[in-house]
This record gives sequence, C-alpha cells and structure tokens, in this order.
Amino acid sequence: MAVFTRTTKKLILKIDEFFDNIELGLLVFREGIKSYLDKDMESFARHLQKVETLENNADNLQRTIENEMITHSILPQHREEVIKLIDELDEIIDSAKSSLNEIYIEMPDIPPILNKDFISLTETSVNAAEELIPAVRAYFKAPYTVREKLLKVYYFESETDKISMNTNRRIFQEMKEIDLAHKAHLRYIVHHIENISDEAQKAADLLSAMAIKIVM
Amino acid sequence: MILFFLTSGLFLGWSLGANDASNVFGSAVGSKMVSFRKAAIIASIFLILGAVIQGAGAAQTLGKLGAVNAIGGSFTLALAAALTIYVMTKFSLPVSTTQAIVGAIIGWNIFTGNRTDSGTLSKIVATWVSGPVLGAGFAILLFILITRIKRASKIHLITFESFIRTGLIIVGAFGAYSLGANNIANVMGVFVPAFNLQPLDFGLFSLTSNQQLFLLGGLAIAVGIITYSKKVMETIGANIVELSPEAAMVVVLAQSLVLFIFSSSGLSNLFIRIGLPPIPMVPVSSSQVIIGCVIGIGLYKGVRNINFRLLGEIAIGWIATPIMSGLLTFFSLFFMKNIFNIEVGHKNVEGAQTTDLSIISPDAHTSEMIKYLLLGIIIIGILAITFYLLLERKKNRELRVSEEKFWKNIK
Repeated sequence: MAVFTRTTKKLILKIDEFFDNIELGLLVFREGIKSYLDKDMESFARHLQKVETLENNADNLQRTIENEMITHSILPQHREEVIKLIDELDEIIDSAKSSLNEIYIEMPDIPPILNKDFISLTETSVNAAEELIPAVRAYFKAPYTVREKLLKVYYFESETDKISMNTNRRIFQEMKEIDLAHKAHLRYIVHHIENISDEAQKAADLLSAMAIKIVM
Repeated sequence: MILFFLTSGLFLGWSLGANDASNVFGSAVGSKMVSFRKAAIIASIFLILGAVIQGAGAAQTLGKLGAVNAIGGSFTLALAAALTIYVMTKFSLPVSTTQAIVGAIIGWNIFTGNRTDSGTLSKIVATWVSGPVLGAGFAILLFILITRIKRASKIHLITFESFIRTGLIIVGAFGAYSLGANNIANVMGVFVPAFNLQPLDFGLFSLTSNQQLFLLGGLAIAVGIITYSKKVMETIGANIVELSPEAAMVVVLAQSLVLFIFSSSGLSNLFIRIGLPPIPMVPVSSSQVIIGCVIGIGLYKGVRNINFRLLGEIAIGWIATPIMSGLLTFFSLFFMKNIFNIEVGHKNVEGAQTTDLSIISPDAHTSEMIKYLLLGIIIIGILAITFYLLLERKKNRELRVSEEKFWKNIK
C-alpha cells in the first residue's frame, strides 16, 4: 500500500525537484544570455555548464518519475497526462540548453543596438515559462487555481511574439549596415529564444485541459 | 446426498460472487488501483467473515417469508432462482439475486399452500426501494464531505490518491463484509429452515448449523469471485471509473453502509433502545443500491441527463424477476414432486413445532464429514493465500533488482 511506504513521499519530492530544476534552468538561461550580450564569455560558459547539469538532472528525474508512476501504478487515471506534461516541461529546459549551445558554437554577432531587444525578448520568454511552474505545482495541490495562473503564461507568450516580431522587423528593415546572412543568423537566435515561450504555451494548453478534467 | 441438495445454493453463491463482488471492488480493479488478485483475496476473506458472523439477521427475514420445510424444496427453489438469474443475465435484463429468491419463496408458498406473510413481504419490497434511495443520500453526504476536506486541506494529488487507494481497499473489505452479511441470506437462507446440522467445535471457536451453511455459502461466493469476477470487475469497473476515484470510493462506501444497515442486528437493537423503529434485516440488491449511489452523485454534481432508462430497468427488475422466478419455482416444484417423487415441502401448521422428518438432521458421521470438508477448504485457502504472498514478494524482489541494474547502467 503506497500510503504506508515511502514511495509516495519520494515521488512527490522527485516531482518537486524536477520543477526546481526547470525553474533554476530558466533563471540560469536568462543570466547566460545577459552574460553573452555583455561579452562576458567566462560567465556565459559557466551558465551554459550549469544549464547542462540541470538539464541532465531533469532528464534523470523525468525517467525516475515515469518509471515509478508506472511500476507503482500511481495516478492510474491521470498518469499518461502527467507524464506528457513532465515531458513538455523537459522540452523547455532542453530548448534553453540547446539555445545556449547554439550561441556558444555559432557565436552570433549581436549588434549592441539590439541588446535591449534581446534582453527584453529573453526576459519575456523566460517569464512565460516561469509563470508555468506555479500553475503546474498548483495542479497537484489546488487544481481549481490552475487556469487563473495560466493566464500569465498566455500573456507573456503573446508579448514574446510581439517583441520577437519587432526585433526581426528591426533586423531586416532598419539595420541596413549588416548583410543578409548576418540578419538570417540573428533571426535564428531570436527564434531560439522565442521557442522557450512557445514550449511553455504548449505545456500550458495541456495543463489547462488536465485541470478541467481533474476538477470535473 | 446433503451436499447434492446444497449444490443449487452453492451455484447461486458462485453466481453471486462472480457478479456482485464487482460492485465492491470493481472501481478499484477497473482503475488498476488495486490488483485483481489482491482484491479477490480481500473480498473472499471479508465476505466469508461477514456471512458467518452477521448473516443470520437477513436469513431470518427470508425464513419468515416462507419457512421451506423440506430439503428438496430448498434445492428446487435455489435452482429456480439461479436459473432465473442465468436466463435474465443471458438476455441482458437487470437482475438481482434478492428479488429472484423472494419470488422463488413466494412460488414455493403458493405451491405448498402456505400463506405468504404480507407484512414481511412489504417490508422486503420497501427496502428494495429505500435501499437505492438511502444509498443516494449517503453518497451525496459522503461526497460533499470528502470534496470539502480535499479542497480545504490542499493535499498533494499523489498523497490524496494514495489515501484513496488505501481507502478503496478498506472500504472494499467493509463492502465485502456487508455483502456477505446481507446477501448470504439469498444463497443459503432457504436451506436454513430445512437443515439442522450438529454444531462443529474447532477448538478455538464453534460453528452452529446456520453458520456452517453460511460458511459453505461464503466459500461458494469466494470461488465465484476468484474464478469468474475478473471480467465483470474490469467491465463494470470501467463504467464506474467514469467517476473520479474519490467518487468511486464514496459509491462503494455508501453501498456498503446500506448493506450493513440492513443486516446489522446490533444497529437495529440500538434503534429500538433509543425509541426508534427497528431496522428491517432484509437482503437488498447491491447492484441496485450502487446505481442509486451513482445517481445520487450525479444529482449533486448537477447532471441533467439522468439515465431514466436505467431507473426504469430497476423498476422492471423489481416486478419481472420475482414473477419469473416464482413461476419457474412453481413449475419446477411440480415436476420434482410428481415426476422425481421428491418431498418438496408441505403446509406449515400455525404454532406447530417443526419436528419434521423432511428436515435434515444428519448423523455424527455426516457432521464429521462436513467438519473435515470445511477444514480442508480453509487450509487450502490459507495455503493459496500464502503462496500468492510469496509469489508477490518474489516478483517485487526481481523488479527491485532489475531497477537497480537499470539505474546503475544508465549512470
């Protein structure tokens, strides 16, 4: 009986640890981008390594959570959705890691004039994902509050879209001094950063449906 | 010969175990929260306990409706009830063992010229209606309570589910006990007036004649659960699982409470002591009570499309099952008496002592045989449970080892 064993408590701790990893990963990602824009490559490399470690931890935790949920038949009615949600959350930290990696390998030349736009884009995109975490935690403790918490995710995601569009417009229409290949490269980096909020929105859509189902 | 006459009751018990155990553990097994093997073992043990400890009350009421005074009559009656259930199930008609057995007793009363006690009959019929209604009431109250506790405590979903899982096992055990206590009357009630076995002393405890019958009936029900209820549990469970796990637990608890109330003489005496009318000890249909509970929760949640067809089917069951069973009993008794020349019973004389030759009073040899038979079955049961527990332990150990290997390799 799960209640009399430590399985349940252990699993709850692991799920919480997984969310902590995602939250911390987002924080480090934000700082990593800032370091790059400040041309502080040492700090950037440190942040990249930290994100890699967190992503690795998250992967291990994801496997353990899935494994325990299946072997101990925990939440049989919601298991598939919870596993899918955890997978979607893992995609967020995966996306953060791959973005930093791309930047580290490709070393895009971001004109200082765009720094403000890139910081704003990163902040908003990361905010969307950060606002998702309290909603996911609420799913397990107070599912009635999930949907109101998700409103912020949708808000930040649409803000990210606007900022990304403005940044791309600036890159392609206002910056005549850089060549097309450079422009395309910058657009690619914008897309990478924006992707975090898109992943957050995907997870939010799933979570929203899960919350309705559980409170019905 | 005694055992031959009991076969129809045992068959009835088997079908009860195969069908009605799903009302108790269906939701737990259907949702894969409890494994079938675990559910079957718990249900079997508690059902037998309920039947032996608390089965007398409801059986007495059936005895009052019609004291079947010949073993041939009891045999025919139980067989007719079992056939009615079989035929109605075959045609997917709603059926209840309780209603079938009541119809069969009335059929026997008509055949032998005995008067059917209208007071007892109306008491029984009233509980058929009040059972589901009471179940709905209990379900609503318990559901309100559990959802309020859940919301106020902000308990983690996994912890809550863990409580529900444990709750389903405890409630299922209580449900099995109540089912045994209440429904054993349907299986063995008709044999009670016709059997007078010698008390069996097992050293630690002794069993009266009725308790021996109930133990045999309980064992038949347990066999029904183990051999045939898996499919029913998975099918019926899947329907109940449409409800949330807490609603499923509430439904089982409400149903168990109704069955317990209608079979607890202690509770009935308590009612009398505090000046309330006594609770009738009547076997009620667990399937119909559970439908009442589900409808109760549906009403509370504000579901508009209540399945009136289902309610109509229950009402048809109240009338169609006893009539069909009664008619079948009447004609079967006719054949038994006139073709096979078996004594099926006769008119009871008012106030007369039932010292009848047709009542089975077996000799010491038969009692010994029954004693060893029961002991043998109990020992086999204990061995089977021990074997199962060892098997589970081995499986868990192998799983743990394989897990450890997996994580070691992945790191």
